[in-house]
Amino acid sequence: MIADLLRILGLWRGRVLWLTAGVLVSLAAVASAVGLMAYGGLAATGLLGLPPILRALGAGRVLLRYTERMVTHAAMFRAQSDVRVWFFRRLASGSAGGLGFRRAGDLLARLVGDVQVLDGLYLRILVPLAGAVLLLPIVVWGSGPIVGALFVLAAFVMPWFAARAARQAGDSLAKTAGGLRVAALDALTGLREVRAFAAEGRMLALVQAREAALLAAQHALAGRVALAGALAFLCGQAALLGALWQGEFLAVFLVVAGFEAIGGLPRAGALIGHAAAAARRVLEAADTPDPVPDPVDAAPPPAGTRLRFEGVCFRWSPDRPDVFDGLTLDIPQGARIALLGPSGAGKSSLAALVLKVAVPQAGRITLGDTDIATIPAASLRARIAWLSQATHLFDDTIRANLLLARPEATDTDLWAALEAARIAEIVRALPDGLDTWVGEGGTRFSGGQGRRLALARTLLSSAPILILDEPCAGLDAETERAFLTVLNNVAEGRTVVLIAHRLVGVERLDRIFRLSRGKAVAAAG
Amino acid sequence: MAEQRLGLLAVRPILAMNLLATLLAIGQVYAVSMLLVGRDFGSFAGLFATLALSRAALSYAIEMRAFGIGASARRRLRTDLLGRLLAAGPAMLRTRHSVELTAVVVDRVEALDGLFARYIPAAVFALGGPVVVLAAVMAFDPWSAAVLLGCGLLVPIAMAVAGIGAAAATRRQFLAMERLQARFVDRIRGIATIVLLGRAEDEATRMAAAADELRVRTMRVVRVAFLSSAALDLAAALALISIAVHFSMGGAALPVALFVLLLVPEFFAPIRAFSAAYQDRLHATAAAEAMVDVPPLPAPLPPREIRTVAAQGITVVFEDVRFTWDRARPTALNGLSFRAAPGEILVLAGPSGAGKSTIIEMLLGFIRPDSGRVTINGADIADVVPQALSRFTAWIGQRPVLFAGTIRDNIRFARPEATDAEVAAAAASARVTDFADALPQGLDTPVGEGGFGLSGGEAQRVAIARAYLKDAPLLLLDEPTAHLDPATEAEVLESLQRLAIGRTAILASHSAAAHTFGGRRLNIREGRAA
Repeated sequence: MIADLLRILGLWRGRVLWLTAGVLVSLAAVASAVGLMAYGGLAATGLLGLPPILRALGAGRVLLRYTERMVTHAAMFRAQSDVRVWFFRRLASGSAGGLGFRRAGDLLARLVGDVQVLDGLYLRILVPLAGAVLLLPIVVWGSGPIVGALFVLAAFVMPWFAARAARQAGDSLAKTAGGLRVAALDALTGLREVRAFAAEGRMLALVQAREAALLAAQHALAGRVALAGALAFLCGQAALLGALWQGEFLAVFLVVAGFEAIGGLPRAGALIGHAAAAARRVLEAADTPDPVPDPVDAAPPPAGTRLRFEGVCFRWSPDRPDVFDGLTLDIPQGARIALLGPSGAGKSSLAALVLKVAVPQAGRITLGDTDIATIPAASLRARIAWLSQATHLFDDTIRANLLLARPEATDTDLWAALEAARIAEIVRALPDGLDTWVGEGGTRFSGGQGRRLALARTLLSSAPILILDEPCAGLDAETERAFLTVLNNVAEGRTVVLIAHRLVGVERLDRIFRLSRGKAVAAAG
Repeated sequence: MAEQRLGLLAVRPILAMNLLATLLAIGQVYAVSMLLVGRDFGSFAGLFATLALSRAALSYAIEMRAFGIGASARRRLRTDLLGRLLAAGPAMLRTRHSVELTAVVVDRVEALDGLFARYIPAAVFALGGPVVVLAAVMAFDPWSAAVLLGCGLLVPIAMAVAGIGAAAATRRQFLAMERLQARFVDRIRGIATIVLLGRAEDEATRMAAAADELRVRTMRVVRVAFLSSAALDLAAALALISIAVHFSMGGAALPVALFVLLLVPEFFAPIRAFSAAYQDRLHATAAAEAMVDVPPLPAPLPPREIRTVAAQGITVVFEDVRFTWDRARPTALNGLSFRAAPGEILVLAGPSGAGKSTIIEMLLGFIRPDSGRVTINGADIADVVPQALSRFTAWIGQRPVLFAGTIRDNIRFARPEATDAEVAAAAASARVTDFADALPQGLDTPVGEGGFGLSGGEAQRVAIARAYLKDAPLLLLDEPTAHLDPATEAEVLESLQRLAIGRTAILASHSAAAHTFGGRRLNIREGRAA
């Protein structure tokens, strides 16, 4: 629990100045509040007659309180943004192969809900705790050891117990909040399926069940928080009674001001469990190890783009069958080759290996005579453009989708790529042209059109090696022939690896290989 | 508005408890004043302690009661909202990202909790609480009461000034949050594409910009809250100092001075709670606005039975149907007419974008014709409730959505009450078993988002198994092989061919392989039969 929270604190490092400033302003605000109460009390009872100081303290207190809130929140929200961006970076670094069994809705719940919960750690726990540390000697000095003991109880001991008592509830709250979001997103992403199978009632019931679990967890936590709040109140009242028993005015006013400053801590303590659970969920999702970590000492960038497979053996996991069993293949720089084979022959696995999405169990792959194991993934991927079966269209404009492949491309470049992918005509006919929104997962376009947009994006890339995995899937026969003819000229001077089930006959190719039984066999052109 | 009235009714017990708590607080302040001037410690301490215990118990009860009110309001609203979204159906996804819709169902409903659990009770009590305290002060020192009243009246004015533009700020904060969420999910779903294009760093920068926008927007909202709370602090300090100065110049006897002075915080406490909850109201207003965008539940249609006797089968007729997705695009269907007879296989052919998918979506009831008629067994489709429509149709799209769960769960989605044997039979007919048997956990293998762990062809087979399990007389196939390589395409088409036997089947496809599917071919060009 503590270790997770400390790691989150570590992530806030970059904002240490802001966060410290927040604590300092907060301390000043606490001091002025206590001063105002003490002086105000004494002045009113005729023991002290210093109205000017009083006015200064009054105005200062209001100003400091406002500044404190602004600074602490500004600091916290900055730290929160940092954590969110860090989370995205960490996810990206381990996800060249996609999300796998992680679900976007679950990751979203962690990014939004759980990161938000973490702000209580600073605003409601750390800042008031600093105030409590400042106040403790003042309270002991002004109100005596008994009141001091009660102060320690309310500021430090009760929050700790509250944290322990509410740990379980906080844990299940973090989980059930995520569960509700996942269920809702699942139902709404699948609206088509839900309608087609008349599953509205079932989906609603599922979300209601998740909501009931969330409400139960919230109820359990709310009960503990309310209890902690009531006990903190009683503790403050007991301290007041203690001060009254001493009969000193200063003691009484100090108790009132001091306990007001720390009265929220036991409640906040009950929320620590929730914060810790949220921290764990954030870290757990971000800690997915990179399946293909970058080499410790990277080789210099390879000179050429000749690709060689030497005795490569590969399987996705130990319980799955071999994909490659001693694959040897040589693709010279600038060559245009086709890799043929039935589905399941490992055509896509080959691309995954070249791009370091996966690592072979034996053998090696070289690029320009450098083992790709020693080339950093980013530098390798900058040289290879891959059109995969799972290429994703983002909910953005056509232009933004294309520019992902080459951010500095001009409109002329974009139109050339669209032209080559045989989709320029359709885009030109759209009223917004390149600025047309493609919709979630490209839904505003038909399957074939979306595929061609993805193809245009791949062609736009300036990488010297193009790997096209079934580029013509979803194209009609006429468009397919036209595209392959264009491809012959577009990729002049670049290496082209065309992965296909069969050839149409218009392709200009240097070599053709057939993948079978985990090996590549040269086939007659 | 009706919701607010409901909220007001529910908070009555809370109002009563709050008033009681204020009376107890006044009693405590009285006891403290007496103790401060050295009256009999034992009896006043006893009074003070008793009142303190009662207040603690009361505050616990108030909190739990408020939670209950908020929880039941959220439960009611979420069910209503999600019901409306599910009824509005897939057409929503054309204009809104599924994540935005999710944010409405999850975050905006949660935001309404503040309205019911905090704002309404606080607003009701913001007047009553201070009045009770004021009456107590008035009894001992009218001058102080006047000061309190004056300072108290300053607060709503200051809050109103601070709150100008707050509603707009809150709305923008919600938008920024939804934008960040939608961006994140969209990018995360295509994370492999981003990483392999080497754009992870760029995307992280854009994500930072979106997160930063959310921060700036949130700061604008909280500033309003802090300003109104500062106004409150100022008013309270002003009251405290004025009264203190008044007494220090010998305004009243010491016990009275103490009593009045100690009541100042109690006077402002309900106003403070109201000011804190004001932010909740702003959030709730913004949240409610988004809910208004969700279409209301459609009026229930008079039940109209469609003859679905298997022997008769299903006849589908389009009569001069026109449809436009949005004005900026060319017309999708432009006077289309055709007829599909029972047991017939109709292949809709034509280039992509010709309007084939629009026809399928219309038959699924996702969209309605702008003009013309679509009938099923003679009944106008507009008169058929969606549930009845989906009872006799099975649909397979370009890329099936697979839900969290196992392959078996995903097949059973078509008919939850199906037995294991029926699911297994459907899996065998769709040849899911062919690949599932090779998996270590068979049909119980978990499936990831977007069908992770399964190839495109395998995911499509799961969808075919759903259709087998559903066993509906009308089969709608929308480019079921668009994402498949030719070999897989041929296999999938072969499975679909067997599935189509004895049913009315409509296949939309521009693929050359669909020629081999058999049946009648209808060429669609620019939204009409060519």
